[in-house]
Amino acid sequence: MDERDLVFYGTPIEREEELSSRKKKAVAEASGQLRTLPTWKQEVRDEEGRRRFHGAFTGGYSAGYYNTVGSKEGWAPQTFTSSRKNRAELKQQSILNFLDDDEKADLEGQSLATSTQFDTFGFTASEVARKQADKEPSAIPGPVPDELVLPAAESIGAKLLLKMGWRHGRSIKDSSTDSLYDARREARKAFIAFSSSDDTKSNIDGDANHVNDHSNSLERPVNDDNLSSQYTPLNALQPKQDLHGLGYDPYKHAPEFRGKAGPGFGIGALEEYDIEDEDVYTTAYDFEDTVVQEVEDSSKPITDHKHRLTWKEPGILPGFKVASISDYQVEKFNAPEVPKDFVPRHKFAGPLKVEDKTAVPPPPDVPPPEDSNMKVLIEGVATLVGRCGKLFEDLSREKNQSNPSFGFLMGGNGHEYYERKLWEAQQKYKDQKKLPLPSDGKSSQKTEKMNAENRGKILGERPLERSSSSLVSPDVNLQSNLSDTFMKPLQFSELPEVSKPFKDNSAKQERFQQFLKEKYKGGLRSGESGGASNMSEAVRAQERLDFELAAEALEKANRGQQSNLSAQQSMDFLTSAGMQFTSAGVEQSKDTLDKDFEMKKMYPKREENQWRPSPVLCKRFDLVDPYMGKLPPPPRMRGKIDSLVFKAEFIPVPRIGDKTGQNQNRSSGGLQSSAQGVRDGSADEEEDEVVVDVENVERPVDLYKAIFSDDSDEEAETSKVSKVEDPEKKVEVANATLNRLMAGDFLESLGKELGLEVPPDLPPYSHTNQNPSALEKETTGLNPRDGSSVKMKITEEDRKQGSPPPSEDRMDRRHSKRQRRYDSISDSYSSSSGDDSDRDRYSSKSKGRRKKGSSSRDKKSSSSRKHSRRRHHREDVSREYSSSRSSRRDKDRGESKREKRKRRD
Amino acid sequence: MSASDLPTKEANVLKGHEGAVLAARFNADGNYCLSCGKDRTIRLWNPHRGIHIKTYKSHGREVRDVHVTPDNSKLVSCGGDRQVFYWDVSTGRVIRKFRGHESEVNAVKFNEYASVAVSAGYDQSLRSWDCRSHSTEPIQIIDTFSDSVMSVCLTKTEIIAGSVDGTVRTFDIRVGREISDNLGQPVNCISLSNDGNCILASCLDSTLRLLDRTTGELLQEYKGHTCRSFKMDCCLTNTDAHVTGGSEDGYVYFWDLVDATVVSRFRAHASVVTSVSYHPKDSCMVTASVDGTIRVWKT
Repeated sequence: MDERDLVFYGTPIEREEELSSRKKKAVAEASGQLRTLPTWKQEVRDEEGRRRFHGAFTGGYSAGYYNTVGSKEGWAPQTFTSSRKNRAELKQQSILNFLDDDEKADLEGQSLATSTQFDTFGFTASEVARKQADKEPSAIPGPVPDELVLPAAESIGAKLLLKMGWRHGRSIKDSSTDSLYDARREARKAFIAFSSSDDTKSNIDGDANHVNDHSNSLERPVNDDNLSSQYTPLNALQPKQDLHGLGYDPYKHAPEFRGKAGPGFGIGALEEYDIEDEDVYTTAYDFEDTVVQEVEDSSKPITDHKHRLTWKEPGILPGFKVASISDYQVEKFNAPEVPKDFVPRHKFAGPLKVEDKTAVPPPPDVPPPEDSNMKVLIEGVATLVGRCGKLFEDLSREKNQSNPSFGFLMGGNGHEYYERKLWEAQQKYKDQKKLPLPSDGKSSQKTEKMNAENRGKILGERPLERSSSSLVSPDVNLQSNLSDTFMKPLQFSELPEVSKPFKDNSAKQERFQQFLKEKYKGGLRSGESGGASNMSEAVRAQERLDFELAAEALEKANRGQQSNLSAQQSMDFLTSAGMQFTSAGVEQSKDTLDKDFEMKKMYPKREENQWRPSPVLCKRFDLVDPYMGKLPPPPRMRGKIDSLVFKAEFIPVPRIGDKTGQNQNRSSGGLQSSAQGVRDGSADEEEDEVVVDVENVERPVDLYKAIFSDDSDEEAETSKVSKVEDPEKKVEVANATLNRLMAGDFLESLGKELGLEVPPDLPPYSHTNQNPSALEKETTGLNPRDGSSVKMKITEEDRKQGSPPPSEDRMDRRHSKRQRRYDSISDSYSSSSGDDSDRDRYSSKSKGRRKKGSSSRDKKSSSSRKHSRRRHHREDVSREYSSSRSSRRDKDRGESKREKRKRRD
Repeated sequence: MSASDLPTKEANVLKGHEGAVLAARFNADGNYCLSCGKDRTIRLWNPHRGIHIKTYKSHGREVRDVHVTPDNSKLVSCGGDRQVFYWDVSTGRVIRKFRGHESEVNAVKFNEYASVAVSAGYDQSLRSWDCRSHSTEPIQIIDTFSDSVMSVCLTKTEIIAGSVDGTVRTFDIRVGREISDNLGQPVNCISLSNDGNCILASCLDSTLRLLDRTTGELLQEYKGHTCRSFKMDCCLTNTDAHVTGGSEDGYVYFWDLVDATVVSRFRAHASVVTSVSYHPKDSCMVTASVDGTIRVWKT
């Protein structure tokens, strides 16, 4: 070790040569040798070359005498003088002589020492009492022997027992196998062993105390008892397993870290804690909430007296450390298993009574009374009673005793009809309750059907104005209206058999009806509804969409009937819609085999792109740079190449200034279309399908063809097929053409420059594997809303196995590719091969259509947004459409964040 | 190699990590193994004797991946602190810190000559770092991915990476092209077969997929395990006869390479098996888990 590293305590014996050498060193270091060291390694030395304590604010000071606790004289030894007259006292030194006051206070509060007060049994107390009694009539003169001989703090028997593991407060034969208990027993044993060794030390000054103790020992028994309970903690419910003091709160001044301790500890102050820092494994792994123990801890010298004397934790013995891995385990009990048939709904007494009644055979079907008002009233009351229970009937009977129109309640006119209606209502209500359970789907479906017909009879011709013109008292009127609002959606279920959109899938139809019912339940959407319980979230959401779509269609059809508009038209749509839905829906409930098959056919998909490795990378990989000697494309141009030619993952950037306005148009249109209604859902699916196909198409070739071929024929074709072409689209076309021309010029020059070969027929940069050769057909339906023809394309495979499942996974994929999809749209007018152009046209056309109908669908779509992930995606699509690449990235990331947070390790 | 030769018997348990172990890797000759985890440390072990040799501390957040040079002289590691650390194995000091990733770094690998480290990040990019020069700037950034890049593999001439966007992309430096194989499912981890002809990709639909590298064909799918939300490794055995991978329920699976049947499965850990690494020569395997242990398996 170097000399300068030493720290001198006390007065060193100075030697001449040493002094000079040190001085030399000091000079040398001052001359700049030290300067090379970082500031925090430099040391301040005095003129003698001795290290000075450096710090504080004044630029360095020395604590004590050259950073020692001594004085200039150093530690003066105690002078020992002893004379015949004045004999030296034998000084008894104890640790207390060397401690500061606060240290003493600390020590007294916490130090471990035997005390006579430590009396768990109360033995000492009784002994003292006995002794006291003995003492009083003491006949023996002189010091009582008992008091000369100090009593052992514990009897040897108790001591032995304790060492064997017996614990106070337990019977001797009691042997617990509890591991916790064992551990504590061990600790206690060690405790005793330790304290008894301490005894010898502290007894010296304790002796005097002992004597004193016994003189005033009368007071002691009083607090002995409660002390004993203090010293034997019987059951620590939450054993302390950390190193903190009792009641120590590590987050006292940093509440923002509360609950976040653990693996993320030690993150820089500037790193913000965001939601991603949650421990994704918390469910799987119960991370110990401890400060990470540094290894250095163990390397600390054990001769740390201060540490030992002032140990703070009552549970830990000096010289011991809390085990980092504890045997202690809380026994865990699983939550009680809920029986499968348990319905988490409280059944009230009222309806129960009603239900009992339903066991009674149904009252005969009676023709309704002639008075239509009466009929309406009866039905209204019956429905209400059916729903709310018998209580309501009693109530209204009481209320309307004098009202002749309520005679049916008292068994008067129309009573039988009322009975019948009430029974029906009860049945209906029961069905409703039963429905969510898929187990009894069959039976409930039967009753459902019957009820649907009944309801058709009952509610079909019940316009609101009639009930308002009735003679009944206003409060009842109000109630029946109220029930109307409740019952309104039931109208849907009374639709004729033909119009049931999912009639080929009875379970689904059932769910659909349930959906309709719940849709307006109390004006709120019921949370748990929708789909059989065995369906996945995605399928459920999808079905939900279908239902909304169908519901809207039905509602419209209904309205059409009411206003005597062309019912045929609406029914047309209905059937076509039904076809759509079933084709989408049936296949969903089928096995995932189809999906797998589909997947296999689609993926893996190979694409090849040009990629330019950096020269350094090539060098480091010891490879020849494939692009060596070729000019690196200028960065500005590069964007153009990528977006136009190579079709890498670059979003088309708005290229010329005058395009921005048009872009805005597009984006706003896109936004609107994102909020577009459910009705387009299935069509969009197909569109997505098409788009996926489009991706396989070799862009560069198309582009080339487009550049060098006449595009007038395409234009003609386009206009022929799409009758409803937006003016916007023409702008688009113009722009696309412009781009193409620019690209053409650019390509030519580029080709010359780089010597790139672009064969006219073969795709130079990309080819596709397993490109599904989808033959496409068009079916035309009639859109009842805007009257424009809806073109649906169903690929050949779709026909065979139902349309492909728009599963979430695939949505994801689409999502990731959508910017290319828009590439394809902008390129659509440049492609010449019939198939491709067809597809492209379709996608752009449907886009235009979307814009049109969007505003009217805004409302509905917002209501269903949370259920459809798909729409979410679509929204992204349209928004992204005009956004720059960076914003797209942010978005993507935000969306997939939740997913990925888990996914990443 | 028959199924009975598979390493299914626990030979050692390497304990020391506090919290989840995120990766465990054999070194090139299989004598040592490196692990890294949530406790921000990298640990060097002798898995055959069950000895903990060294701990490397410097990361500010969890360490997600670690790789050692073939000559065992240098380490490269990456993790939640967005940095790639280049370590000296013997001194345990960080030689260089490569900063540049905008987000967490998921995986990192050396190339054959240990001259370049390529890291894959949550910021949808691959970055290659020069270990020869003193530059801390990336040599090249590849950002054609559209989602987090989860895993990277290097051959003599190629950089292969798998991403959550469902693609496995091969960047051929010699030819100067990018081949993108879209699997349609988020790719969690990729691993090369020992003959270098196939890529094994672990997808988040609980399927491992074996791809032919030259054609991009899907050769086989391996199912049975659970892999839905965690990054979990997969690899082929040293003979390329079996495919192995962990499961979220703590099991380790062995599939036959050709007919994709589950040859063996056993419970290896109490929790998610995050990493598996197969010995380059012997029938030996290490697995790491969220339960904080690394287990060594032998026949």
